Formats: sequence, C-alpha cells, structure tokens
Amino acid sequence: MRRRATAIAAVLALAALAIVAAASAKVDRAAAPSATASADRQLVSCGKTVTMGMLAPITGPAASLGKLQTDWAKFYVAAHNKVKKNKHKLRVQFGDTVLGGPGGTAEAVKAAQSLGSNVLGTIGPAGSNEVRATTATLKNAGLAFVSGSATNTELTTDGTRTNFFFRTVPPDSAQGTSVANFIDKKLKFKRVYIIDDQEAYSTGLADTVQQKLRAAGVTVSRDGVSQQQSDFSSLIAKIPRDTQLVYLPWQLPPKGKAFGDQMRSAGKGSIILMGSDGLFDDAFASLGGVYASSFPTSGTHPVVKAFRKAHGGDAEFFGAPSYVAAQVVGGAIDRACKDGKASRAEVRAQVRKTNLKKTVLGLNVRFNAQGDIRGGQFGIWKATSAGTFLPVG
Amino acid sequence: MNWSLFWDLTVSGLTLGSVYALIALGYTMVYGILKLLNFAHGDVYMIGAFMGWFALHWLGGPVNPSATAWLVVVLMFLFAMVACGGLGVAIERFAYRPLRNAPRIAPLISALGVSFFLQNSALLLFGASFRDYDTFHLIGAKTYNYKDIFLSVPQLLTIVSAIGLMIGLTLLVARTKIGKAMRATSFDREAASMMGIDVDRVIASTFFIGSALAGAAGVMFALVFGQIYHFMGFLAGLKGFTAAVIGGIGSIPGAMLGGLLVGLAESYATGYLPQGSTFQNLYVFALLILIILIRPSGLLGKADVKKV
Amino acid sequence: MADELTPQVPPDQPRIGVDEWVASVEGKRERYRGPVGWLRRGWDTAPAGARLLAFVIPAAIFPLVTTEGNLFRYGLITLLYALLGLGLNVTVGFAGLLDLGYIAFFGFGAYTYGYVASVHTGHHWPAVPAILLAIAVAALIGFIVGFPSRRLVGDYLAIVTLFFGQAFVVFVNNGDRINFWPFNRTDLTGGANGLDNIDPLKLFGWTVNTTKEYYWFTLGAFLLVIILLYLVSESRTGRAWKALREDPLAAEVMSMPVNRLKLMAFVFGAAIAGFAGAIYGSVQTGAFPGDFDVGLLITIYAIVILGGAGSLAGVIVGALVVNGVPELLRDPNQAEWVFYTALVLLVLTKVRPWQKLVTVVGGTLALGFALVAIADAWFPRWTAGEPNTGKLAHWVSHWMLLPSHATQIANWAYALTIALILVLTLLRGWWRTIVMIPTIYVGAFAWENLLVEQTVGATRFLLLGALLVVLMNARPQGLFGTARVEIV
Repeated sequence: MRRRATAIAAVLALAALAIVAAASAKVDRAAAPSATASADRQLVSCGKTVTMGMLAPITGPAASLGKLQTDWAKFYVAAHNKVKKNKHKLRVQFGDTVLGGPGGTAEAVKAAQSLGSNVLGTIGPAGSNEVRATTATLKNAGLAFVSGSATNTELTTDGTRTNFFFRTVPPDSAQGTSVANFIDKKLKFKRVYIIDDQEAYSTGLADTVQQKLRAAGVTVSRDGVSQQQSDFSSLIAKIPRDTQLVYLPWQLPPKGKAFGDQMRSAGKGSIILMGSDGLFDDAFASLGGVYASSFPTSGTHPVVKAFRKAHGGDAEFFGAPSYVAAQVVGGAIDRACKDGKASRAEVRAQVRKTNLKKTVLGLNVRFNAQGDIRGGQFGIWKATSAGTFLPVG
Repeated sequence: MNWSLFWDLTVSGLTLGSVYALIALGYTMVYGILKLLNFAHGDVYMIGAFMGWFALHWLGGPVNPSATAWLVVVLMFLFAMVACGGLGVAIERFAYRPLRNAPRIAPLISALGVSFFLQNSALLLFGASFRDYDTFHLIGAKTYNYKDIFLSVPQLLTIVSAIGLMIGLTLLVARTKIGKAMRATSFDREAASMMGIDVDRVIASTFFIGSALAGAAGVMFALVFGQIYHFMGFLAGLKGFTAAVIGGIGSIPGAMLGGLLVGLAESYATGYLPQGSTFQNLYVFALLILIILIRPSGLLGKADVKKV
Repeated sequence: MADELTPQVPPDQPRIGVDEWVASVEGKRERYRGPVGWLRRGWDTAPAGARLLAFVIPAAIFPLVTTEGNLFRYGLITLLYALLGLGLNVTVGFAGLLDLGYIAFFGFGAYTYGYVASVHTGHHWPAVPAILLAIAVAALIGFIVGFPSRRLVGDYLAIVTLFFGQAFVVFVNNGDRINFWPFNRTDLTGGANGLDNIDPLKLFGWTVNTTKEYYWFTLGAFLLVIILLYLVSESRTGRAWKALREDPLAAEVMSMPVNRLKLMAFVFGAAIAGFAGAIYGSVQTGAFPGDFDVGLLITIYAIVILGGAGSLAGVIVGALVVNGVPELLRDPNQAEWVFYTALVLLVLTKVRPWQKLVTVVGGTLALGFALVAIADAWFPRWTAGEPNTGKLAHWVSHWMLLPSHATQIANWAYALTIALILVLTLLRGWWRTIVMIPTIYVGAFAWENLLVEQTVGATRFLLLGALLVVLMNARPQGLFGTARVEIV
C-alpha cells in the first residue's frame, strides 16, 4: 500500500517536473536565438593573450596523428609569439577527441563543449565523422572550425556548415580524381588493387578512385584492412603477381611502410605502391619508388626546414595542413583583434577573408564559398630511392 | 589449385598464429587457476614489445648493435620476458589478489582499470609515435624456400621460438614440482591449499609465466611486423582471448591449438573468401561459434561438471 | 574499506562450517556505526520515492547553475550512459546474462531513428513514433538474437553476443554498398561516413535543439525508465530474474520458466538500449559506426559493475564516476586541485595514529623545502623550470623541484613512484611510514613535471584506470551492490 502510494507520488512528481520543464524550456526556446547570438557576438577583450581552440586526437588509437597535428600547431604558435609586431600572444586550448576510441564521436562533442568562453576560433577536428558530430555544438557556439585533415567531400557540399567550417586539405573528390587520372592516363595501368582501412576517410577515397578507374576500363579489385592491423601478409599473398599498382588511401604512414616492407619480403616488391595524402610522409617515402598524392608541400620551404630541425629531422608532413589551419585561425584572430576586442562572429568573417601567400602547402590559401581552398591543386609525388618525395604530376 | 598461394597463406597464418597462441596461453593459464579473464593481458604484450625495443636500443640499436645480432635478439627476448613477468606478478598482487573471492565479474573491471592505466602510461612515457624494430637491419630478411614454401628469417624465428616456448611450458607443467602445484591448484584451489601448497606463490608463478609468454609474443610480433605503439594490445588481446576460448579455456594444449587455428583461419579467410580481409574478424567469429556448437567446451576443453 | 557483508575470514582459507548469515551479522552491525553509518541507515530505510527525489532534485537544478558546456559533458552524456547502464543492468544485473553484444542494440536504436528522421534519407518522422519504432526494432532484434541463445550459458552466450556485436559494426560500416538481390545499390546506413544530419527530436510541435532542452528530455526519459525498472524489479518477474541470477538450477527446479525469463531480460535490456540509442542519435546529429563498438560496451560494463550490478542507484553513481572523472580532469587547474585534495585526503584518512600522520606530513613538507633550498643554492638547473599555471601550482612551486627540460627525469620519476608504491605494500610499521615520505614527494614530482601537462590527454584516462582498480578493490561488490552476482 505504501509502496503504491510512493509510486504514485513519484509519477505525479515526474509529471509536475515534465510540465515545469516544458514551460521553462519554452521560455528557453524563445531565449535560444539570442543565446546563440550572445555566444556569437560576445566581445572578448584581446588583452595580452588570446586563445584559440584545437580539437585533435591526443589519446586513443589515432594519437600518433594527433601528435603530428599538435606539433605543427604548437610550432606556429611559438613562431607567432616570437614576432614582436604581434600585439597579442596566442595560446591554444586543446580538446582531446580520442578519434577511434571507446566513446566514439561523443568524445569529440565533449571536447568541443569543453572549449572555454574565451576561445575565439578552433582548429580541427581531425576526422570527418567528428566534424559531422561537432557541427551543431560549434555552430551554436558561433566558432569557426578549420580542419587540417577532414577530407570527406560532403562536408562542404551539403550546406550545413557553410561559413563555419573550412579546411586546409582538398576534398576526396579532388584527390580521387587526380589519382585516378594519374593512374589511368600517366601510368596507363590496367590492373589495380585498392585496399582501404575501413575508416571514413579511406573508404570515401577508395570508392571515388574505384569508380573512376572502372569507368575508364581498368580492372579494379578491392579489399580492406582494419586500421589497427599490422599483419598484411595473408592479404599480400592474395594479390595477384600481375597487379600493376596497389592503392592505399590510408592515414597512418607507419602502416604504409609496414605494408611496403611486407610486400618486399613476399617477393612482390615490383608492384608499385601508391598512397593518399595520409601517407605523404618520410616514413612511407623511405620505401623508395612509391607514389603519394599531396599538395605541393615542399621540403625546401623555410618553415618546413625549421620544423625538421626542431623535430629531429622528421618533417611530419601529415601535420603541415594543421600549421596552415593555425595560421588561418591565428591570423583571423589577429585581424579581428585590431580594435582590442573581438567576437567569434568577427573571427569567422576574417577567416572567410583569409589570403595567405606561399604557405607550407606550396600554394596560396584563399577559401571558396563552401570552405575549400580555392584552386587547391593536387599533385602526385614519387619517392626517390633516398626517401624524399619529388613531384611528378 | 594454386599451391604457391596456399603455402604463403599457411606460413603467414602459422606466424601470426604462434603470436596468438602465446597470448592465449597466458589467458588460459590464469583462467584455469582463477577463473578470471585478464583483460590487461593484451597490454602486457604491448609493454613486452616496448621493453624489447628499449633492450635493442640500449644494446646499440639495429643498425650497429654492440654484440652479434643473434645475441641481441636473445637478450631482447629475455629482457622483455623478465620485465613482463614482473609486471604480471605486480598486477596480480595489486589488482586481483584482493578480489580473489569476489564475484567473478569484479576482477574484470579491475583488469579494465589496469588496461587503461598501462595503455595511457605507455602513451605518456613513450609518446604517441610508432616505433620501429627495423628488423631488416638487425637480422635481415633472407628467405629460405623448399619448393613452393617460402619462409623469411623473422617468420622462421617466430614459429621456431613459439614452438620452443610451448614445449618448454608443457614440460614445466608436466614434469616440475611447480607445474604439478599449478595443475593441482587449477583443479581445486581449496584442496590444494589444504595439501600444503602455497596458493599465493603458485598464482604468482602462473602470472609470471603467462605474462612472460605475452612479452615474448610482443617481441616476436614486432620482429616480424615491425611497428609498435601504445594501442597495439587491444586487438591482439581480443584475438588471444578468442583463441583461448576456441581451444577450450583452461586447457594449455587447447590454447596452443586455438591460437594456431585462429591465425590460419584469418589467413585463409583473407586469401580465399571474397572481401576476405574486410570481414576477416567476422569469419573468425563464425568459425568460433561453429566450433562451440559442435564442441561446447572448445576443442580440447573439459566439460565443466558442476556439483549441485 | 573491507567488505562488510562477507565473512571475516582470511580470503584463502577454506570456509568450513561457517554459516554465512551468522558470520555477516557483525559486518551488518559495523555498517550502521558512526556518521557514515547514520547516512547509510537513512538511505537504506528511506522509501524508494525519497531516494529517487534525492537524485532528481539536484539533477533538475543542475542546468540552472552551470554552463552549457558543463551541462553537456557532465549532465547529458552521463544521463545517456546511465540510461544505457540501466538496460544492461536488466540483462546482467537482474538476470545474470553476460551479453557482450549489448551495444549493438544501442546502435540499432540510433540507426533506426536516423533512418526515419534525417536529411540523409529524406524521411522526417516526429519524435514519438520514431522513438517507438527504434525501441520496437531493438526489442525485435533482441528477440531474434536471444531466441537461439537462450539455452547458452556463461561464456558461450558471451561469445555469440560478441559475434553479433562485431557483425553489427561491420554491417553498418559497409551498409552503403549493399548490392545483392533484392537490394540493389542501396544505401541503408551511410557506410563509414555514418547516417548524418539526423533531425532533432520533434515533440508535439516543439523542437528540441538546445542542450538544456535535450537534458530535460533525457532526464524525463531516464526517470520514466528507472521508475519502470523499479516497479518491474519488485514484481513477480523481477523476483524471478533475481532467483535466476542467484541459482539457475534451483530456479528451474522451482518451475520458473528459465528460458522464457532469459529471453525477456534480453529483450527488455535491448529495448532500453534502443530508446537510449534514439536519443543519442539525435543528440549527435548522426549515427556513426565507430560509436557502437566494443570500447563503449566495456565502458558501460564498467559503469554497471562499479555501481553494483543489480542496483539502480549504483548505475547513476557509476556513470558519474566513469564519465565525470575524465571530464573533471580535462582542465589542468582543476586537475591540480583534484590531485592534491585527493592526496591530502588519502594521507589523512589512511595514516593512523596521529604520530605517524604528523611524521608523514611534516617529513614530506620538510623534504620538499629542503630540496628546493639546496637546489636553489647549488643546482639551479633543478628549479629553473616554469611552474604550471594556476594559484595552487604557484604555491606548490615553492615546495617542488621543477627542473628545466624535465621530461626524461619526470619519466623516470613516474616509474620510480610506481616502484616505490609496490615496495610500500611490502613494508610494515615505521618503515612504511618513512618510505611514504619519498613516495609522496616523487609522486608529486612526477605529477608536476609530467602528468599535469597531459591532463587533457593521457593523464585523465590513466587516473580513471587507477581509480577503477582502487574502487573495485575497496568494494568488490560495487559501490551500491549488495548481493553476489554470480554470472553463470
């Protein structure tokens, strides 16, 4: 009897709560537009230090990628803070998105939610699915987010994040087309094997290249590996000896190198390997004779040289677009802060107006209406036997 | 029938299978005595790979080792095995011993905590970048062949040392006093303690041996496949656990068989089935379920007789 | 903190002739002693409604006193994980079934909701029918998986459900290229890119779009489920489940329909997971394959077991700990306070009697200041480093050595701390007290020079892992657990 009474009381309390919640939420809804607007237009005084956010995979299976990106971003911030002309010092608040980790994309959203109210613009997130998941949060907060590695084509074509999301890497459609054209028209190969790593970045590229090659009459076989796999020997045994090229749109250069080494041990070293921009790295290049696609990032660029020197000879090319992303956001904040105060909306407008010359990517950076780099040309590179990449197409 | 493909797949299956077998042995030994699934075992394997790397670099590195390559390899193995054995004993002492009489699922969460701790400590101390064993410079990649069967030196090393370790373990369990004590404890822990067996010491020895094997597996894997990083233990641990169950959890020869079977199954699935590599985990699991349906306690497991 | 309810016999001795109830009486008396005991007695004797209110009132006030970011991280995600935990609690805690594919039901809920309410597929159902569909689909799949597995026990059920979970992930990951009859070139799940642009919940004309609104909705859903579960656990079925969990053979002999009960538990848990999945899909505005993998499964298991399998209140606390602790440690300043507070509390509560406490505290402080003074005078490199930001860090920097280029030294200090802790447990008496002093100092050294820089990354998960080990060792039955849950 008492139990029933408590149950009824609890249900009534719940109902009352729901009504109160609905009532207050309605009030909240009316306030919502201005709540968003207030985050958007709130003026942050620029003072001595201004903060930008960075969302990257600092822990988890993709931590090695996060390290490359954060290394380059920190390099930019250090260089920026040394320049006397800059009135404010830049500071980065990091958010760990644990890409590929147990919490899934919820971790990325939590990281985005952890950015403080003094953050004026953000670099990242790194993964395309993370960009999708965090869009609502970052848009509500009014933050611009510039990614140095999210390449999924739909991110800029589906219209949900225009003027908020920008990226300093080309979309999969551009990269896929260049790669397919190179394989078909330049190398004139007829038998290609594509191996993806089951992640969004990889399958997108693989699908584009496969489709275009098949349309051009090339025989394409397709299979996949897990991004955490290191043993490719069984798959390599399956690859027919008359295959001319194996395309690896992967993200982790050490895995690419491991694949190349295992190909050689299996006696299939004569089959050409080609990687995507994720494999454009010294580790993969050390195999010698491999191809990779990338922006015209040059090893002779002074910033790249300085970075190499500061990082024990490793250029960590995967992170170079994150340097440019940091340049974009940092530069936008600098310009917005000229009058001593800046709001996130101002920073976004300034990002849209970015005009960087001779960046480490080897080209000038200006954004088109969707948020991609205008005229981002993709090049194919070939590694010399000494392990450096030289442009070939 | 493409024999060359078949032999290639068999060799790579046996190589990977040897690694899985060693990991599975650790799982099965601990389960046999404590009825506990040691989630942290995969991370002990990862630490073993890193310990081997440190040993390699303290001895001069792969390109210019300060002793002959073979001696360096042996020392790497020994260092990794001892370090991991010690780590296993410490884990048992801190994370599992207080929970010995708790419900079975409590040590599972403790093991999970240890796993988080080890993975992230490795990330903190060793960094996020991949490290390379650079086996090519250390012992070369010369390939031996007999007709259609090709074996490279690292693969041969892995299979031979795995077999050696397994024979050693079998002899230890069958012939030595500590082995007898282990068998008795896994049969009936209370009766064993009543017979004067120091159960704590037996359990510590079991963890030592199981973890040492995992450490050896880590070094072996890295010698053949090259790359090590802080997250490599997760997938390997899961596969090792699957192998232990396939072979009959609690049975030592079962774990060896299960490991080799999982390695071969993955290899053949990748090689022969459509989109084999993409779906290889599923194929292995399907095999596992098939085996469980036919022999519910695993291939070599004993049916658990519950006294009511 | 010994387990008060199990017999006070050394763990490895055979318990011949001990009556478990008699042996636990002393433990039960201990339980209600002292101020903590007073709280426990209040909690145990309060009616269920009051206990619920004790949770609801702070949860309801929370959004009014905190920022949106904190509300999302600590409030919304914790509630979602707790909701998932409630479902798993039915399967594992009430009925004792080790379901390792549980997270696939969560995924089914998210994908089903997304399929009928997203820009990606073009359907835009309102929330109520969409959520009901998600629950129904998840329950149906639960039935389909549970039916052939109802006879399996223990590890075998685990393997089959694990397979199912893996199959789900592979399916949704490749579900944009389904190409066999009768589905030609169908995109069911969006593949590796996920089912994106899922609609926000549309309830009777009101669209849920801000974090606060999502929080209220999720809180309401959570309360609904927890009240339902409470009523079920007190019902005939709930009692039958508990009997099944304790001893399946006895339950069967008592003519309980064991297989049917197992199936019901399975389906019930799956339905709750489906509900949680639908909400999660709309919160994330997308359903992505990587979100429904073994990693999250293990996290939810940790929540349920930590809280005490079978306990409803425990799930809430478990979710707060497993989700809240890494979030709390994200900010280095906050983490600094948490670390030193925890350290001080640990020392104060664990070191007895007061003479030893004074020795440890005084000794550690003296050691620190002495080392800093010596370093300032003769080894300036050891205090040349930058103190971390924040007031507390500034105070600590007078006590702690902060070398420049500290990374290598700090790495070794970290390893040394762990070694010293191991040594500590082997010592007794005054030796232990004395060794405690350098242990604490070296540990704090490793913290200041290495760990605190990585709080946004590795440190917070590392500490979560250590916390899990400590909590499980302190209370093996879980924080709110009572009965022994033997998984058969």
